[in-house]
Amino acid sequence: MDSANTDALFLRPTDIKAALVAMDGGAVPVAGGTWVMRASLRGDSNDQAFVSLSQIDALHEVAEGEDFLRIGALVTHDHLADFARNLPELGALTQAAGMSANPAIRRTATIGGNICARGFTAADLVPALLALNATVEVHSSSRQDTTPIAEYLQARTQRRAAGLLTTISVPRKRGHSAHARALLRKAGEYPIANISAFIDMDANNTIKTVRIAVGAVEAMPKRWHSLEKALLGQPFSADAADMARDLLDDFTPRDSVDAPDWYRLRVLPGLVRQAFASITDQSREDA
Amino acid sequence: MAVTFTLNGQQRRYSGDPRTSLMDALRCDFRLTGTKDVCGEGFCGACLVHIDGVPKVSCLLPIGAVEGADVTTIEGVGDLGTLNPVQQAFEDFDVVQCGMCFPGMVMTLSHFLQDNPRPSRDEVKSALVGNICRCTGYERIIDAVMSLHNSAEGRK
Amino acid sequence: MNDLKETVVMNLPRRDARDKLQGRTKYTVDVGGLEMLHAALRRADVASAKIRHIDVRAALAMPGVHAIATAADAPGLHGLGIADHPIFAGETVRYHGEPIAAVAADTLTQARAAAAAIVVEYDDLPAVLTMADALAPDAALVHPDWRNYEILFEGGARGGNVAWQATVERGDTDAAFAREDVTIVENVYQVGRQNHVPFEPRAVTAAFEDGRYHIHTSTQAPWTVKHVTARVLGVPDSAVHVTVPAVGGGFGLKFDCSLEPYAAILARKTGRTVSQVNSRKEEMMTCLCRENADIRIRSAVTKDGDIVGREATVLMDCGAYGGEQVFLTTMTAHTLGGNYKLGSVRLCTKAVYTNTPPNGAFRACNGVYNTFALERHTDEICAAIGMDPVAFRRRNVVGDGDIGATGQVFRGNVLEPMLDQLTAKYPVERRSGTLPDGRLYGRATTVGTWFIFVGPSAATVNLNADGSATLVTAGVEIGSGTMMQSLPQIVAANLGIHPDKVIVKTADTDAAGRDLGVGGGRTTVSIGAASEAACAQVRDKLLGVVAELLQTSADKLVLSGGRVEIQGRPGSGTTIEKIVQQAETSIGPLSGSGAFTAPGERSMPGCAAGHFIDAIDIPVFAVHDCEVAVDPVTGHVEILSYRLVQDVGLALNPRAIHGQIQGGVVQGIGYALTEEITINSDGAFDQTGFETYRMPLAGDVLPIEFDLYEGAPSIGPLGTKGAGEVPILNVAAAIGCAVSNATGKSVNALPMTPPRVAALIDGKAPAPEMGHIDTVWVKNLVRS
Repeated sequence: MDSANTDALFLRPTDIKAALVAMDGGAVPVAGGTWVMRASLRGDSNDQAFVSLSQIDALHEVAEGEDFLRIGALVTHDHLADFARNLPELGALTQAAGMSANPAIRRTATIGGNICARGFTAADLVPALLALNATVEVHSSSRQDTTPIAEYLQARTQRRAAGLLTTISVPRKRGHSAHARALLRKAGEYPIANISAFIDMDANNTIKTVRIAVGAVEAMPKRWHSLEKALLGQPFSADAADMARDLLDDFTPRDSVDAPDWYRLRVLPGLVRQAFASITDQSREDA
Repeated sequence: MAVTFTLNGQQRRYSGDPRTSLMDALRCDFRLTGTKDVCGEGFCGACLVHIDGVPKVSCLLPIGAVEGADVTTIEGVGDLGTLNPVQQAFEDFDVVQCGMCFPGMVMTLSHFLQDNPRPSRDEVKSALVGNICRCTGYERIIDAVMSLHNSAEGRK
Repeated sequence: MNDLKETVVMNLPRRDARDKLQGRTKYTVDVGGLEMLHAALRRADVASAKIRHIDVRAALAMPGVHAIATAADAPGLHGLGIADHPIFAGETVRYHGEPIAAVAADTLTQARAAAAAIVVEYDDLPAVLTMADALAPDAALVHPDWRNYEILFEGGARGGNVAWQATVERGDTDAAFAREDVTIVENVYQVGRQNHVPFEPRAVTAAFEDGRYHIHTSTQAPWTVKHVTARVLGVPDSAVHVTVPAVGGGFGLKFDCSLEPYAAILARKTGRTVSQVNSRKEEMMTCLCRENADIRIRSAVTKDGDIVGREATVLMDCGAYGGEQVFLTTMTAHTLGGNYKLGSVRLCTKAVYTNTPPNGAFRACNGVYNTFALERHTDEICAAIGMDPVAFRRRNVVGDGDIGATGQVFRGNVLEPMLDQLTAKYPVERRSGTLPDGRLYGRATTVGTWFIFVGPSAATVNLNADGSATLVTAGVEIGSGTMMQSLPQIVAANLGIHPDKVIVKTADTDAAGRDLGVGGGRTTVSIGAASEAACAQVRDKLLGVVAELLQTSADKLVLSGGRVEIQGRPGSGTTIEKIVQQAETSIGPLSGSGAFTAPGERSMPGCAAGHFIDAIDIPVFAVHDCEVAVDPVTGHVEILSYRLVQDVGLALNPRAIHGQIQGGVVQGIGYALTEEITINSDGAFDQTGFETYRMPLAGDVLPIEFDLYEGAPSIGPLGTKGAGEVPILNVAAAIGCAVSNATGKSVNALPMTPPRVAALIDGKAPAPEMGHIDTVWVKNLVRS
């Protein structure tokens, strides 16, 4: 293969604009590569050119602002877990990033890839970002949009989303958050269900704000609105797992090789309990 | 333009398809077969190499992404006559069986012990969840690792 | 002999560890270079069909393609017991993944592209995907021509989709079950397949050299590869030469011929060396798995706990071709029919054809699930008659002079003292309860019977002028260390040298005599015994030379530390080097050959039909005990402790045995808890890679506590028994019984994945549907 040909197969732009041009030309954006490189094993075509985003410095940055944590799309799970460790309100993100897959994958797989990998149903970061009310910045050749992550996910499902996801902004609000995942082994695999919860309480430990997101149960992660509604205004000591058990109808679980549909629902209350226990621990540490 | 990188201390060029996995290029083009092709999906760790000192699965890394990087494979660990401490412990504890997973185990643990010189048993296990072994049942591998840091044995 | 035992036992390290740790070992998958062509298979993507048309013309014209082979190139059928298996589907596809054509090209990518471009047109046929389907009265036949196949071993009943049937009938079970003083306990069990997942997939390179095929391959059984390749290619066995480098794991999968014939044909067609390696997906989807099995067992037991009658039917899914399962039907007699004294017994084991990928041999084949079924059934009996499970086992395990299912007489009390050893060390305080964290606690103790698969082995030993010895056998190093540890230890002890001075030649069928292969725990025993016999010849010659030299009689000489001495007079003799040099001038170089085969233990005449082995030459026993915690929230089973006592005869290398125990038990934990294969409506495995096929990871295991039981009778060299196969034997049994005790529910199926255990706890896991095994034992028999 001569060099001229190989150059066209692997583009390494150094800015977002050049990356967009490459994508318009049909190249597949590659972040960590851990999903794209498995394409042929999934039976997907892999004959498109790659546009590697790794040379775009801005995408690797994490910026800690007063109100937001801004995370570049190419920040790895490993890096994120390390960085967010000192931000207790982002516990869900730290835990999700620190527990997902296995150490080598966490060193390579990126937050942008986790959001954008098509057909990947077991992302850990996405429910965390939903629970934390994150927004994403998407660049296209003509514009730059900031969108709530839920909307962006919806648009991607319907293949309406164009452009390049460049930055994730996570609001730093008062409160605590946690992530819990159900596995069939102890560690080292994708979850068959996961939950992220964000809770803010008043001085009497009454729940003022609550957001719970569930991943891997359906094709896309989503918020568990009925449970949130039930918990709002309740004392934090309320048995969230018990409440969850009555609200499983919110989901139409996936039945697939990794786990049967009913089992994904069966483990959800336990995950809620775990996440709440983790939040309890965090608030104790605060006190 | 070919991909240029450092491989086990030497400047190397790769002029094939840059989307090729680093693992395939190492095994087929550079004939460094110590990096093993086992699952091809990032679960088993048999293809781990160090990229700029950090262990990564070479099966999921397009070789185009290592432009300018420093790549170390199992063949670049220590030299012929000398085993590194992890390798030596594995030999001393007689933990090797079929051997296919061990290059990856060595790559993971050599790096892990740099950052965690006194790990607990559970920490070693957590570090190893991305290295599958079908022969040994792991525990004797962990015994060997713990022997390197006897003083930490008491921690749990 | 006792002196020999003292010198032979040691924790000899492995000589292959260093290269393996440095990534320098060249497994078959690592052999390659520009001179080689690469092969790819075109496999069927349907489970059952007539092939209407194959057109390879376009594929042959593609870039880099050198040759394509199809059924026309390999007319022969092979098999174990029955020759039912072509290497290519010619007219009929019988399973999803069956090879239809093989392509050799300059690169693997080219070979795969061409394989995909071969035009194959099918007429679909009905597919039988389960044994229940296959045994239905109107079932489509996987092999409509089954009557016409060549029979390679006489004695098994066959018929329709039953590839082979083995039966045991001893005593009058009808009378036993009709007794008024017995409790009758009946259970059904169902287990899935287990994939070996050797890290090195099946792989081969083949060349056609000087009119013969040279096959360099990742196998456990070089002589089987030689024979099967010759048979399907229609050439004499002597035309095939097999060599084997380090093998990256086998576990039984590589006990059969696999890719070798395809590469051989392509090598002849192209005149080039051809490399062929299964992709991981192919390896997963066409694995010759531990078979799925369906079991019905019932027993008549007196209130004192005597088993007066037992009847069982075991269905083993052989997939589309008989393969190992035909042979393995034999093992039910010794596994499900093992462990206990039985007043009367009837066993029926059938290998059943289905349109699914063929199964094969896997570490303690047949024994693992039959032990699960037997031990779960035993606990059900204990519950039914209100007897303590350990007391029941102590009362009933076979001991000295007791007879087994086929009437063979066992020697020595082994299981009973092993049970005592375990329970004395770890007294049973409770078998169930609830832990402080809310999880359910269970404990169980199980016994198991396995055997050493003896049979022919040959060895040559050359004593070299530098005082080293070369051991030439067809043995293979598959990872267990036998070739690196026990064999050099045995040879060294017999020749009075250090094991480091024993060169071990790896398998080369042009150099070494016939051998059954590395498997069934036989290497140390069979190759070890042949090696000992070869050493005896060398020693006789050596001592003869010395006797003449020193003017003494040979029986006054001892070999030790690389020297020959007159007994009781250290320094009186000379070094082995000097004697070898001396011998070259008198009788020539010192070399010996030895052989071993199954001595042939006897069964009771008329008890067993269709069995390849009526009685086992070397039984091996195991006692396993485990404690579990079952999480009712998730269905997870955590193993809290795992302890065992293993009958090893003599432990040649205790540290290496430790490695086999830890590894074998963990493989059993995977089988018991998380490794699951499901077959979809296309007849293909759902689990195509490591994401969904869940092997134990580092976080899922625990250190296995063990004691080695030495001194049980064995015909193995120095009283050894193989130690690598048996550790997996009762793992699913022990965990299954413990989970039953923890949950209070009957575990009847494997694997016990979290969803299955959760369903069990929820009361939503009924006993498996087993309508295809008649409750009347005799109605299950095929008569032919």
